[in-house]
Amino acid sequence: MRQPEHWGDGIVKTQGMTRAEVEAALARAGLEIPEREKAEIAAAAHFVEEMAERVRSKRAMGAEPAHIFPPPGV
Amino acid sequence: MVPDFLTIAEAGALIGKRELSPVELTESRLARIERLDGKLHSFIRVLREPALAAARAAEAEIMAGNYRGPLHGIPIGLKDIYETEGVPTTGHSKVLIDHVPQQDATSVRRLTGAGAIVLGKLATHEFALGGPSFDLPWPPARNPWDTSRFTGGSSSGTGAAVAAGLVLGGTGSDTGGSIRGPAAFCGLAGLKPSYGRISRAGILPLAYSLDHAGPMAWTAEDCAIMLQAMAGHDPGDPASANRPVPDYRAALSGDVKALRIGLIRHFYEDDNSADEATRQGIAAAAKVFDDLGCSVRELRLSPLAEWAACGVMIMLSEAFAIHQATLRERFGDYGEMFRDRMALAALVSAGDYVQAVRRRRELAAEFAAAMADLDLAITAAAPGEAPAIDAVGKFSTFERPMLTMPFNVTGTPAMSVCCGYSEAGLPLAFQLAGKPFEEGTVLRAAHAYEKATSWRSVRPRLEG
Repeated sequence: MRQPEHWGDGIVKTQGMTRAEVEAALARAGLEIPEREKAEIAAAAHFVEEMAERVRSKRAMGAEPAHIFPPPGV
Repeated sequence: MVPDFLTIAEAGALIGKRELSPVELTESRLARIERLDGKLHSFIRVLREPALAAARAAEAEIMAGNYRGPLHGIPIGLKDIYETEGVPTTGHSKVLIDHVPQQDATSVRRLTGAGAIVLGKLATHEFALGGPSFDLPWPPARNPWDTSRFTGGSSSGTGAAVAAGLVLGGTGSDTGGSIRGPAAFCGLAGLKPSYGRISRAGILPLAYSLDHAGPMAWTAEDCAIMLQAMAGHDPGDPASANRPVPDYRAALSGDVKALRIGLIRHFYEDDNSADEATRQGIAAAAKVFDDLGCSVRELRLSPLAEWAACGVMIMLSEAFAIHQATLRERFGDYGEMFRDRMALAALVSAGDYVQAVRRRRELAAEFAAAMADLDLAITAAAPGEAPAIDAVGKFSTFERPMLTMPFNVTGTPAMSVCCGYSEAGLPLAFQLAGKPFEEGTVLRAAHAYEKATSWRSVRPRLEG
């Protein structure tokens, strides 16, 4: 998977989604997309994969997300 | 004869002394819109008659001795994601072309309550994400410094209209840099306040947990005046902070001596490499702060790509949740830039969204720790001057990590401040970032910098 040089240190390696996998994800989301645009989206999928890989750090099970739900009235 | 360019503070002072008529000021801006906006496309709807009626009412009130303050009689514009009673609010999209809200956004109500005159609704990137699209019901806004250039986005119309002197101030929204980006490219002051400082109620959302409303104007002082009106608790926004609103304009006059500033150099030298002119502008700005008595030292954080990945994953996921149902039904009614960027969100799993939100907590804690012995941080607002408008690609948002996104992730205040002009005469900018709810400190430092430099005296040449 290509990683743009200007993204700085901490290069992330991803597996790379195939065109078929991208199309399956788009179909699963219920999106009907013209073929030309589908090809461009597939070509840009690596951006999402690289970002996803970055946020998947190994962390403790108890590491909470930023959002927590404040019970009403508290 | 009303000058072509006035700041809110200047016009407000003249109006308060009854030396400037709100009606004449409004008429002069409407004439300027008529004359110049045909090539800027900053407005998608001009509210001529309501604006003149409001100006006449303001004038009558002031003449009767009921002066409300520095926004009374001041012409402003609203990014067209701010809902307005009885006036279409479209998000610059065919999808909402017939959307006529029944009430004003809270922040709009507060601005008009302070006496501001709304001249119209301003261009935006579609739903505050799309980019400079040419397949929407209205054309994209153009940069007044060079109309072949990009305004930045998504508060594109506000950037263009304020820089061109069509309005004296305007509203923006900032999910990943949509106030600070156009402020940088158009040479303005643009403030993204703390998350929760200004109500989001009645503003079309892009990403609930990253959206910030804020002011854009020519100077930090003008941003302070607008923030004063816009800020404050609102039960209509579940994220609204129930905290007192300080006197932001009074905060401008405080001392900047001894402020401790961290310079996040690696963001713009290594992680998203800025051009030489921007680097020099920031180095010179650091020197100005040093001369003003501040202490400036290096600050190192996680690589910019970490902040950008966290913010963009959250932004895509939350935006997709808002638009997915409509994308299924009306994919072709969105512009291609917006819909294809949104389609990428279909590739984000639920698990990855939660991982991004967990990462957010870690990064916010990292920033808080790094700022423990600092008052402010400085970094670039953009990697250089505005690019050509037709050079902005469909996925450009993802090609380089956004310099502005870290402070959306942290929810802390950050401001774009003009620090000079490129060889081509285009604005350059840096960001001043502060601690949570310390907008006063950010504005004070920006104001001191503007007073110590000459950049605020340069305006775009639009006529002749």
